[in-house]
Amino acid sequence: MPSELFVVGVSWRSAPVSVREKLAFHDEELEGHLKKLINHELIDEAVILSTCNRVEIYGCTSKGSPASAVAQAAAETRAFISHSRGFPAEKLSDVLFEHLEEDAIRHIFRVASALDSMVVGESQILGQLKSAFGASSNYQSLGPVLGRCMERAFSVAKRVRTETGISRGAANVSSVAVELAKRVFGELDGKSVLVVGAGKMSALAARHLRADGAALIRVTNRSPEKAERLADEIDGVACAWQDLEIELSKADVIITSTGAREPVLTKKLMKQAMKRRRYKPCFVMDIAVPRDVESAVGKLEGVYLFDMDDLERLVSENLKERSREAEAAFSLVEGEVRQFHQWMRQQHVVPTIRSLRSHFHEVAAAEVEKAMRNLEKANTEHERQEAMQRLGKGIANKLLHAPTTVLKQASDAETLADSVSQLFSLDSQDESEERSKSSALNPAGLAKTAVPSKKA
Amino acid sequence: MAAEVVTTPPQVAFYFAMISYVIASVLHLSSLAQVPAWVKHAARWAVVIAFIAHGVDIGWRGVEQVHPATSVREALGFLSWVLVGAYLVLSRRKGLSVLGAFVAPVALVVLATARLSPSGDAVTGLSSLGRLHIASATVGVAVFCLATVVSVIYLMQERNLKSKNFDGVLFRSSASLETLDRLSARLVSIGFPIFTISMMLGGVWVAQREQGFGRIEYPIAGVTWLAFAALMLGRSLRGLQGRRAALLTLLGFGAAMLVLALYFLRRSVGV
Repeated sequence: MPSELFVVGVSWRSAPVSVREKLAFHDEELEGHLKKLINHELIDEAVILSTCNRVEIYGCTSKGSPASAVAQAAAETRAFISHSRGFPAEKLSDVLFEHLEEDAIRHIFRVASALDSMVVGESQILGQLKSAFGASSNYQSLGPVLGRCMERAFSVAKRVRTETGISRGAANVSSVAVELAKRVFGELDGKSVLVVGAGKMSALAARHLRADGAALIRVTNRSPEKAERLADEIDGVACAWQDLEIELSKADVIITSTGAREPVLTKKLMKQAMKRRRYKPCFVMDIAVPRDVESAVGKLEGVYLFDMDDLERLVSENLKERSREAEAAFSLVEGEVRQFHQWMRQQHVVPTIRSLRSHFHEVAAAEVEKAMRNLEKANTEHERQEAMQRLGKGIANKLLHAPTTVLKQASDAETLADSVSQLFSLDSQDESEERSKSSALNPAGLAKTAVPSKKA
Repeated sequence: MAAEVVTTPPQVAFYFAMISYVIASVLHLSSLAQVPAWVKHAARWAVVIAFIAHGVDIGWRGVEQVHPATSVREALGFLSWVLVGAYLVLSRRKGLSVLGAFVAPVALVVLATARLSPSGDAVTGLSSLGRLHIASATVGVAVFCLATVVSVIYLMQERNLKSKNFDGVLFRSSASLETLDRLSARLVSIGFPIFTISMMLGGVWVAQREQGFGRIEYPIAGVTWLAFAALMLGRSLRGLQGRRAALLTLLGFGAAMLVLALYFLRRSVGV
């Protein structure tokens, strides 16, 4: 039997993080474990994917192994995980899942396309899968089947990302803030950012803005030391708290996260700042709790104010949107799974097709050689014609001899006869012969009308 | 009489353009919701086909001596064609294909109103100056129309952001506020000189015809010009932008539409 694919592992769906962390494989361990896996007589290829959300082993059974080998190989892999991780097998069976053959392909494609991720459509998993693929490639634990399946999974993931909206819209608060800022400014290149307060969240948001092209990041805080520290951390410039109004008027994007009990950015203060900047658009992100910005600030012309609740609401809207798009992605993946499975099935018959072709060519070549000798001896046109007829008959007889003998002697002759009929389209051939005979007997389509009249 | 004008020259291209505009409008409006990418592609292609058919219709009528600048009917048809052409150029930029949801229905309504109205007979004794005035005014107003569409989208998107309406129409499909504002400014800066020339030509033409400047359309046309002039000056000298600029664009275009409506009405009742 040819090779079959299988997947054994745990994911965020099946096991809590306390179990996942115990089963995780470290990069430096991969070489040894992959070699152990492929040294098993039933396993030819293996990939170990170990991330914070999943620990999975993708495998491919050895060529020529029996049909039951795939289930056996999966069981061996389960035992391998238990043994190598020192995790009791009986506990493992509660959290471990396995997929065989077509289901395994489906799982790999869905994982690559981030359809099985905690945050549907996230981009990290594809990179992690590519790293796992790279490691297996380096440690030579990949072959023609699993290797091809992984490569196909990467292109399926690309299709899913480009042809569906599964990765549309940011899925975390910091990215959503950048997304909203882009709805105001388009690109953030050259935009100036003011960070008010020195919280960790504002540092994260500022880094996201910088990564998207924001030019100058200024940091202000009641404590100048903290402002300096955060400015160093995010490659920005610290400025004095006393200059807040002037700094506000210079900033296109303002992030506030102070620990103040009362609003820091009042309507009056922002009104003056907006007047100073001639009502040029200003994006204000208030990520402090309690809030740093008076809600009336959002009503000022040119000010676009969002607080934590708004950002979290947009995250949840985006995730809902992704879930809707996931339906289209699932059907796209399903089509690809069918295609790949079809390819695998074709691989099962390729050796037989190859032998058949070679056998037919050998028979034909031997008969042609014999016919050439006869043609050399032939003196008349009649003899040459006979030689050609003998050639045709010879090839047909030689090719038919073995299958006819087997068909006659076989215990399941009926099944075999059906297969032969199917292989050579004999039924349809018989039908067309019947048709041509009946039309010859009843020209001009009179057969149907002639029968009742005869009976009558 | 009117029916005779409508049936000649041949209408095949016109009806083809109308059907394509209907399809384009439906596809573009449905694209405002989350739809597969092919719907957006199909919408764009429908506009391209409509634009070509509409162009063939204009050319066909031109061969039959029915030029775009001879009557309100032809001028409006030409206006919607220029509008669609300008949209096709702009829609290649990211986030601006959403303009199609406004431009395609507007083009459809303008073309249908113009062609099917009974007030489309050519102005008698139209001089070259008159034709130049009508042609330049048409192009200028078409560009203002596009600037207005952009401003409307700006106002809708601004409302979405201000009211934090993340499900709002256009929220996900529109270009950014800054892009829309900049585009509107650029369109006005293109349309304004053309419209100014048209105003000057119109003034000379009216003076030549010795009809006087007593018609109500003339001061309203002046309001259009003043609104756009104020917008241009405000943008360059006072940093005027965003919501206020969008509202001023709407005011200017509204005045231009009023001029056209009055002219249309006058031609309909034959005053």
